[in-house]
Parts: sequence; C-alpha cells; structure tokens
Amino acid sequence: MREQRKFKIPIGPQHPALKEPESFSVALKGEKILGVDIRLGYNHRGIEKACEERTYVQDVYLIERICGICSHTHSTCFVQAVEEIAQLAVPKRALYIRTLVGELERVHSHYLWLGVAGHEIGFDTLLMYTWRDREAIMDILALLTGNRVNYGINTIGGVRRDIDSAQTKEVLKAVEQLEERTHYYIEIATEDMAISKRLSGVGMLPQEDALRLGAVGPTARGSGVNRDVRRDDPYAAYEELSFDVITDTHCDVYGRTVVRLKELLESFKIIRQVLKNMPQGPIAVKAPRKIPAGEALSRYEAPRGEDVHYVKANGTDKPERVKVRAPTLANVRTVKQMLKDRFLADMPIVIAAIDPCFSCTDRMVEIKNVDSEKEKIISWPELRSLSIEWYKAQGVDFTKLNKKLGNV
Amino acid sequence: MVGSIFSVLLFPGFLFVSVLALYSEFIDRKIYARLQNRVGPPWFQPLADFIKLLAKEDIVPEEANRNMFNLAPAFALCAAVTAFLYIPLWSFNSLCSFGGDSIVVLYLLTIPTLAFFIGGWYSTSLFARIGTVRSLTQLVAYEVPLFMGILSAALLADSWSLRDIAFFYTQHPLYILLNSIGFVVALISLLGKLEKGPFDIPEAETEVVAGVFTEYSGRNLAFLKLSLNVEMVVGASLLAAVFLPFGLNANPLAGFFFFILKVSAIVAILSLMRTITARLRIDQMIRFCWKYMAPFAILQLVINLILKGVLLR
Amino acid sequence: MSLEEKIKQALVSKFDFLAGRIVISRPRRIFIQVELERLNDVFDYAVKQLVFSHLCTITGLDEGLTFGVVYHIADKNGIVLNLRTAVPKINPVLRTITFYFPGAEIYERELMDLLGVKIDSLPPGLRYPLPDDWPQDEFPLRKGWKPKAENREQKTENREQKT
Repeated sequence: MREQRKFKIPIGPQHPALKEPESFSVALKGEKILGVDIRLGYNHRGIEKACEERTYVQDVYLIERICGICSHTHSTCFVQAVEEIAQLAVPKRALYIRTLVGELERVHSHYLWLGVAGHEIGFDTLLMYTWRDREAIMDILALLTGNRVNYGINTIGGVRRDIDSAQTKEVLKAVEQLEERTHYYIEIATEDMAISKRLSGVGMLPQEDALRLGAVGPTARGSGVNRDVRRDDPYAAYEELSFDVITDTHCDVYGRTVVRLKELLESFKIIRQVLKNMPQGPIAVKAPRKIPAGEALSRYEAPRGEDVHYVKANGTDKPERVKVRAPTLANVRTVKQMLKDRFLADMPIVIAAIDPCFSCTDRMVEIKNVDSEKEKIISWPELRSLSIEWYKAQGVDFTKLNKKLGNV
Repeated sequence: MVGSIFSVLLFPGFLFVSVLALYSEFIDRKIYARLQNRVGPPWFQPLADFIKLLAKEDIVPEEANRNMFNLAPAFALCAAVTAFLYIPLWSFNSLCSFGGDSIVVLYLLTIPTLAFFIGGWYSTSLFARIGTVRSLTQLVAYEVPLFMGILSAALLADSWSLRDIAFFYTQHPLYILLNSIGFVVALISLLGKLEKGPFDIPEAETEVVAGVFTEYSGRNLAFLKLSLNVEMVVGASLLAAVFLPFGLNANPLAGFFFFILKVSAIVAILSLMRTITARLRIDQMIRFCWKYMAPFAILQLVINLILKGVLLR
Repeated sequence: MSLEEKIKQALVSKFDFLAGRIVISRPRRIFIQVELERLNDVFDYAVKQLVFSHLCTITGLDEGLTFGVVYHIADKNGIVLNLRTAVPKINPVLRTITFYFPGAEIYERELMDLLGVKIDSLPPGLRYPLPDDWPQDEFPLRKGWKPKAENREQKTENREQKT
C-alpha cells in the first residue's frame, strides 16, 4: 500500500518536531528518506554585529541571550576570552562558582533533552517526568543566580553573586534527589523495549564520520570520539576536579542517550567536588572599561558540545570583532549523514539527538491590574503560590503530591 | 416508528453514544494525565473542546476535493454509531440484531479508518497523505489479529451473533477464561485501530504533524475527533460484550452500571498502555503484529477448535 | 620542552619564513600569521603532519584594506592553532578547506554571506545564514555596513501590499 513515488516534504521552518525554526526539506520514497536539504539561518539575529557596537559589559548580557538553555555557556566563553586579552587574574572562588553554575546548567539541559527525546519518539510520559524533575534544578539555579535561565552571574573579572552555606545545602539536597532519579532514567532508557527499539541503530554516525564531519559534544562522544574540552583544554576550575569523560561505542541515538545520562552522574560528581573544595576569597576583580588590543580564542564544553568564541579587542571599550560558534553549527552537518536511507519516523529523534538549541521563556510576568491601571511585578515564589491557590480553588490540591515527591 | 427513531437518535443511539464518547475521552485524558503526574482536564473539557471546535472556522484547502473532504467525517461518525446499535450493551438484546452481526460490527468499525483515508487523501496535504498511507498500512496489520481474536470467541460459542455469544458465555462463565489470549490480542489490536498508544503512527505529531487530520479544522475536526471517540466506545463495548459479558442478565439498572464500568475499565487499560510505551515505527508495528499478535490469535483459534471438539460434544 | 614549543619548532624548521611569526599567547594557544600564498602549504602540513584534526571554526574579520581570516584548528591535546591570513578586499578569494574538513562548508558559507569573501571550488549549496532574498552586494559584517532604514521600510510596505 506504500506509495512508491518520490516526493518532498517540508519539515520546518514551522513543524511540531522542531522547537526552533530550521528547515529540513526531505525527499521521500514511501517512508524512506532519500536525501535532506538543511536550511539554517532563520534565527540569525546579527548578534555578532551588534556586539561590535556595544561595550564589553553590555556584550556579556547580549551574548548570554544567544541561547536560552546554554546561556551561561556563552557568557562564560565570552568573558574568558576578554579576561585573557585583558590579562585579569580571576579569583579562584569565581572560577568555582562559574563551574558550579555551568554544571547545573548541563544537568538542566540534559534533563530537558531527555524529555524532548521522549516526546520525539512519542513517549510523552518520559517528557512529563523528566521536566517535572528538572524543576528542582531550575529552582536551584534561581536560588543561586536569581534567574531560571539567563543567569547573569558572569561579569568580566569574576562573578556577580557569592554562594553561602545555606545555598550549598540546598544544592546538595537537590543533587541527591536528582541523582536518584537519574539512575531511574538510566534504567528506563537502557531496559525499556519500545525505547531501545526506537533508539538502537537509528542515526548511525560511525567514529570516522564523526571525526571527519567535526562533530562535538555528546554527538561525538556517542560515536566513541574521546573529546571533551573540559579535560583537553581545561578552563574555569576543571583542572582541579576529577571526572570521567563518558564515551559510548554504539554510534547511534542510543549511544548519545547513554552518554548524556551518564554525563549527568559525572556532573553531580563535579558539583559535589566544587562545593566541597570551594576556596574562600573575593569573587571578582575590577575590570578596566577599555580592554587593551589583542585577541583570544576561548573554548567551553557546553551541554551540546564545544562552544567557541573568538574576541578581538582594539583598545577601546568596544570589541573589534566577536565570533561565536555554537555547538549545534558543528553538529548539524552530521544530521544529513545520519538520515541517509532511514525512515521518516526516525527523523525527529535523529534531529533531536544532536540536541539543537532552543530558547526558553522568561519567568517574570507583568500583570496589569485593570482597575488601578497599575503594573505589578510578581516574583517567582509569589507566582507559584498564586498558581497553587488557583488550582486549590479548582479543587486540585498539590500538597499531597508534593509530600510524596519529597519537595515540600 | 417514533420509538425506533428515539432509540436510534437518542437512547441508546446517537446522542447516548456521543455522550459516552466524550465521557471516555475524559477518562482517557484524565488517566493519561494522572499517570504522567499532571492534573488533567476537568470533566467537561471534552464537551467544551467539541463546542469550541464547532464554533471555529471551517477551512477547506483550495486544492482539496470539497465533497470528499467534507463527507469523510460524516461517514466515519455514521459508521461508528451504526456499529454501536448492534452490540448488546446491558442486556442480551441489542437495538438491532441478526445472525451474523459480529461480522457486520467488525466491518462497520473498519469504515472510519477508510473514511479517514479518503478525507486525508483528498485534502492533498503531503503530511495528510503520508498519514493516510500509514493508517492503511497499519489497518492491514491489526485487522487480522483483531478479527481472529473475536471470531475465535465466537467459534467456541458456535454463533456469529453477538447476542448468542454473550448469552453462551453467561451460561458458561468459566469459559471466558479460555479466551484470555484472544482478549489481550484484541485489546492490543484495538489500540492500533484507535491509533493510540504505541500505534499512533498515522498521526505521529513530531513526524507528520497530525497525519490525516492535518488540514481539518472547525466542525469537520470536531466530528472527526468525535468519531474516533465513538470508535473507542464501540471497540470497548464490543470487547466487553464478547470477552466480559457479566451482568447482562441482571436488572437493567445494574446492567447499565456494569456496562459503564466495563467500558471505563477497557478505556483505562488502553490509556495505561499508551502511557507506558513509546511510539513504534510503522515497520516495527507491522512486524510486531505479524510476528507476535497473529500467531497468538491463531493459537487462540486452534485452542478453541480443540476445546470445541472436546468440551462441547 | 612543552608541546606548544615542539609544534612551533616543527613549523619553523619546515617553513623558515614562519620564524618570528608564531606566537604562543598562553598554554594551548598558538597564533600564526601566514601569507595567503603559503596558507595552503602550512595548513596542509598542520592538518596532515601535526594532526590538528578538529576544525573549531573559521573567523572572518574586516581589517580595512584586507579581510582577516583565522582558521582555528585543534588537536587532541587541546592545543588550538590559530592560522591567520589576510585576503585583499579587491579580489577576496580563498580556497575551500572542505577537502580536509567537510564540516567547514557552513563556516565558509558564513564568510561568503557576511563578509563577501569568495570561496573557490566550494560545491553549490544553500546559503547561510542570510535569507534568500538578501541583496547580493550587501555584507553586514563589513565595518562600514549599516542597515538601511529606507530598505527596511520598503520591505514592510511590500509585505503589506502583498497581504
């Protein structure tokens, strides 16, 4: 009954499988994919150009908004380059805090990815579970930095917020809870029949192809490429921390899933070490407004892979050139290879398996009170209690559920 | 005359089955949500969705065949509701009944799938066309185990009439247990028919947007959704009548209560199954159906043939 | 001797014109300025003999009369070689490096779109990252480029007329 004629279907720029505008034009024969044309650039916002017209400090916040998920990645990568040019000695404590936030970000990103992957293979239950658990890490990030995304913790010369012992305790508590959940998800992903059926052998990327195409991050490590900037080109506090680089030789989506899940456990390890070994001292040094002429290349292991920033300074308070290479750009070419002769049904998960970036929403809302015409800004706890009250009025009580989950 | 119009249109016909369909959609969504640790919709949500969709603009694609596109939802709904009339619900007597009505019900249940095919195909959307091709491919895979599962129960009861089957198993309640393989096979096939759970391949959101339903909107979409839900009710009550014929000889009120309970239980099992599985690929689904489901259905058939020779001499 | 020094020595002994042009700015970062004519030789040597097997990215810069192009290539020890060359603005042509790194295609297209550097023998493909209807002679990353206000207004007008 399958139609044997060739035809082309547009996946994107708008399509339920994609959370971000990209266009994949897929040539199909029946259910088989003959070829894929990838058209990117729908999200090009001219940030590199805009950076040249703003001061370094402004750029930190602009660059943080490149991506909603790995915002800390980009801002850290950028400030590292600027600090290198200006030859600032960033205090150790600041580096540790950066590492901490970076790893928390990796945890939330991998959790997010796991949920999206579940959704792409039609397993929404996994999505709901992982995203529920992810809330714990979002809360921790909000506690440490004041924001759930776009943390704004980096500044040139250090970080903007210190961490105290009460916060440390909260982080450890959340990490413990999440570690338990992660073991559970590893069990699900490796033992569930339907999941392994959908992931095994799908999106094959042999090691030589991964190397040839320049894949980075979990995409490369899932193909047995032992490459991790945190170990190879250590930045922040990674030189003083011990952790393993997870690789897997399955070379398929399953391998990438396993890599991400095991990386979560490594992240928890790193977070514990960071909190234990965090040195005392100042959290920032004062940075000059004008950065001396020079250039630097900074690399950072984002949750999705290697993030590269190149900054050239010309002695003024504005950079001459800022170049950003996000990990997805390095990985997107592998998709073409992975989709060859596969089924249309594999397309969403194969695309999702490189973990393409997409933006998150902000948590602050402005409420306009109709009567008084006054704008009111609601904070996150207030917003949360408001919503709980609302549900209570609808006859739904979360207190029992919360108790069961242990996050009272 | 007036009485039969009342039965066909209102109770236990069209109106009743529609209400039941909305009810089972609620059960399905609520259980699905609760199992996923969500709150889930309030009880009136399916009805609210239906009314809202009725009020929305009805868009027909320019390229589409207008008549076919608009007729498909009506076809699907009518076929599903008609099938309902042949099924014994809370007493042995269904509204219409004759010697071979189990076959008729099974065929009437196939028509919605074909109607979806026609609607999707004539909407000329690429996503809808892939969806239609998928749903027909899937039809070939689940239909055979479903038929065999139900017919082997019929074989043991020595009748093609649903009424006689139900009557037979009420007389010999223990024989129900003999059909348990067939029941499981039919239940899983029903998931394929309803395009739910691991078999929601034709409308896989992340692949083909909404498959057959991609181009549908407004009133047409409302009726398509309703007919899917009616199909769910009919499928559940068919399985209930064949495999779980309890309470059919009780008084009508208790019987009615039992009927609702049985339908709810079957719908709950279906939503449980779709909660705990990932969507299969079409080739995996077909392999699964022919490799596991069909052999098990044949096994049930053989068991029942032997039993019939030995037990019911 | 550190790895960086070894790489520096290997490069200088192979290409004597590189003496004094190799800067090790910090551990694991080497910057090299190469003439356009000799770029391919140095690049070939670095990739094939020194096993710089991973292309981080390609950066394009507007340096007044020339375009600066920096190839950032890394090896497995985390050392990044920044090969920097200058392309005259009059006839900015570079040879593609997709023979070495197929993944470089997208970075080269970015150079084409944003700076107007022409890439020799690059296989045909879709452009990146600018939209298909972007004017051929406008390159936003060039220093003098400003978004034209009247252009933008005209575009919205066109769109309004269409709808």
